[in-house]
Amino acid sequence: MKISDLLRLSFDNLKRRKGRTILTVLGVIIGTCSIVMMVSIGVALDKSFDDMMGNMGDLTLIEVYNWGSNGEAEPLTDEVVNKFMEIPGVKVSTPLYTPRHFNATLATGNNDKYTGWGEIRGINKRALEAYGYEIKEGRFPNDKDKEYTVIVGENFAYNFQNTRKKPPHNRVDPIPDENGVMPKPFVDPLKDTIKIQCKQWTGNGEKLFLEQEIKVVGIIKQDESKGYETYSGTIMDLEDLVKLEKEYMKKADIKDNNNGKKMTYDQAIVKAKDVEDVDTIIESIEAQGYNTWSPTSMRNEMKKQAKMIQVILGGLGSIAMIVSAISIANTMTMAIYERTKEIGVMKVLGCELKDIKNMFLAEAAGIGLLGGIVGIIICYGLSYLLNTIGGSLTGEPATAISIIPAWLAIFGLAFSTLVGIVSGYVPAVKAVKITALSAIRHD
Amino acid sequence: MIRVENLRKVYKVGNEKVVALNNISVEIQKGEFCCIVGTSGSGKSTLLNMLAGLEKPTKGKVIINGQLVSKMTEKELAIFRQNNIGFIFQSYNLMPTLTAVENVAFPLVFKGIDKDVREKKARAILKEMGLSSRMNHKPGEMSGGQQQRVGIARAFVGKPKVIFADEPTGNLDSNTTKQVMKMLLDISEKNGITFVMVTHDPELAKLARRVITVKDGNVISDTRDGVNLMEEDLAIAAEYEAEEKAQKSNALDEKVRAEKNENEKNDRIKEKTVYNNDNQRK
Repeated sequence: MKISDLLRLSFDNLKRRKGRTILTVLGVIIGTCSIVMMVSIGVALDKSFDDMMGNMGDLTLIEVYNWGSNGEAEPLTDEVVNKFMEIPGVKVSTPLYTPRHFNATLATGNNDKYTGWGEIRGINKRALEAYGYEIKEGRFPNDKDKEYTVIVGENFAYNFQNTRKKPPHNRVDPIPDENGVMPKPFVDPLKDTIKIQCKQWTGNGEKLFLEQEIKVVGIIKQDESKGYETYSGTIMDLEDLVKLEKEYMKKADIKDNNNGKKMTYDQAIVKAKDVEDVDTIIESIEAQGYNTWSPTSMRNEMKKQAKMIQVILGGLGSIAMIVSAISIANTMTMAIYERTKEIGVMKVLGCELKDIKNMFLAEAAGIGLLGGIVGIIICYGLSYLLNTIGGSLTGEPATAISIIPAWLAIFGLAFSTLVGIVSGYVPAVKAVKITALSAIRHD
Repeated sequence: MIRVENLRKVYKVGNEKVVALNNISVEIQKGEFCCIVGTSGSGKSTLLNMLAGLEKPTKGKVIINGQLVSKMTEKELAIFRQNNIGFIFQSYNLMPTLTAVENVAFPLVFKGIDKDVREKKARAILKEMGLSSRMNHKPGEMSGGQQQRVGIARAFVGKPKVIFADEPTGNLDSNTTKQVMKMLLDISEKNGITFVMVTHDPELAKLARRVITVKDGNVISDTRDGVNLMEEDLAIAAEYEAEEKAQKSNALDEKVRAEKNENEKNDRIKEKTVYNNDNQRK
């Protein structure tokens, strides 16, 4: 039997009992709508999570800490951090160091006319670019540069205040005026000579222990995901910073319980080559006893939650689908009882068993598909209504309450058709078992 | 063409066994027009069902065109029916949603023949049967005679080797019956098709060359052009009848004896009560 003939016969039979077919299809429509709408709400939720994550920054970054690990882990030394590089998928790893013992200020101009706070971060010179800092002006330091060559945050220049003037004229803020033009800061970091000064309050007042000239070669773009240093900080090669701090400690006579031992760090940064690698890298680092935090693991956690919510919503939706599946099975069983004689006749005329089965399966699938198509169309309408009316109610028209991506629509169609086939299966098998003899019975 | 050997069919109704066909052996030749006659309950329909493979015999064989129909699986039967068998029903059994042409072409659908090819064939045969004006009507829009002619066309369309008909004129008036019967005789002769038909009407059977009469599950007469073919079977039937009579009379005897016993018992009880009453009075 040809498929076209089979489908035509099935369709004719559906048309024959229009009322009943429509009612059964209605059940499938409700079932499809409830599932698809529920899942679409889950998808929208997932997307809003994603949007949220978009603000959390670089997904390939892993922060490594050495706290709360009961001392099981080795302290984060240069060696340990370098070893992270050997983990497959790691692009770069570097300690991220904020000096423990000194607060630096910055000074420039004649007689330190301009001063500012110096938030200094130490990071491996070779990791600067790989870490994901983006140069806005200038360049990254390279191996030819002398010591204390640094890059600075986007608004570094606005850090400086004029010590000769009184507020509010002593400072310029990085706020554009009404024409959108940024005011000019007092300092041009790329040109002016800037010094780091380490002062300390002693009994005799403020004492300058250390002064070090630095050379700014690049200004980087602000990046919320990385930290304050991209806003107005100073990023220095790790070695330089450690050296600077040691020098200061010596001069200020500060003792460190770490003295004499290797330098250890509180925090390291590991960057993966690909987001896909993040999970295995985290696993490997945590196996060594360190704590980690990464936007990706957080994202995964949220994704997991979103998935769970989707499954729960889908499960709620599928209750209606189960009811409609029962109704399809009922309709098909009725149809088979009604057509017992017809099926017998078809057998007598030489219809093969598989054709009879397929015919009824096609009928059931047809009910499912029809319900699916109409259901999906209604879902798009509902989704639109929900997003416009619902959005205006919550006053947040930007966030969609329900999203139906193409895969969901296709899934809805496939699922409703499948439900039709599955619930039509038992009746179809029943139809196959009707004997040819029932064609002859006069009832 | 068709050979039946020692065919027996026993139905189980509750705990009782009912013998529908006792022991039937018949042979029908190629191109023969054969009527199976019998009263209702004689087993003639059971015989036809068995021949067409609609039912499985309890014992015995049905061989059509060299193939053992009685042992075929459902799947084999379907293919066998597609290629060898046509069937005409008493109640026409046309598909209510299909037009006359589509109904006639219906068996060809199962063979996977293209729509235009099969409908061309169907049109040709319907025209031959004088139904040109009814081609695109649905069964509900046709008279009984017209419907049965569509049914006949449907049986012939696949050029089968054998056509079985179950009381094909059973639902028709006498005039139409004559027409339809003539048509059946003509077409099957013209196409050389073996035709086996069941009827309860001996008058109708007279039109066929071969007449097989069935009674109580046995063939009691088998004639071709009026010549008796199976005296043996007759003897068997007679024997069976005699046996049955004997059984019946035995049963009767049994009943009479039982009744007698019952009566005697009742008499005894009666006597006893009378006796008791007498004693009480005393």
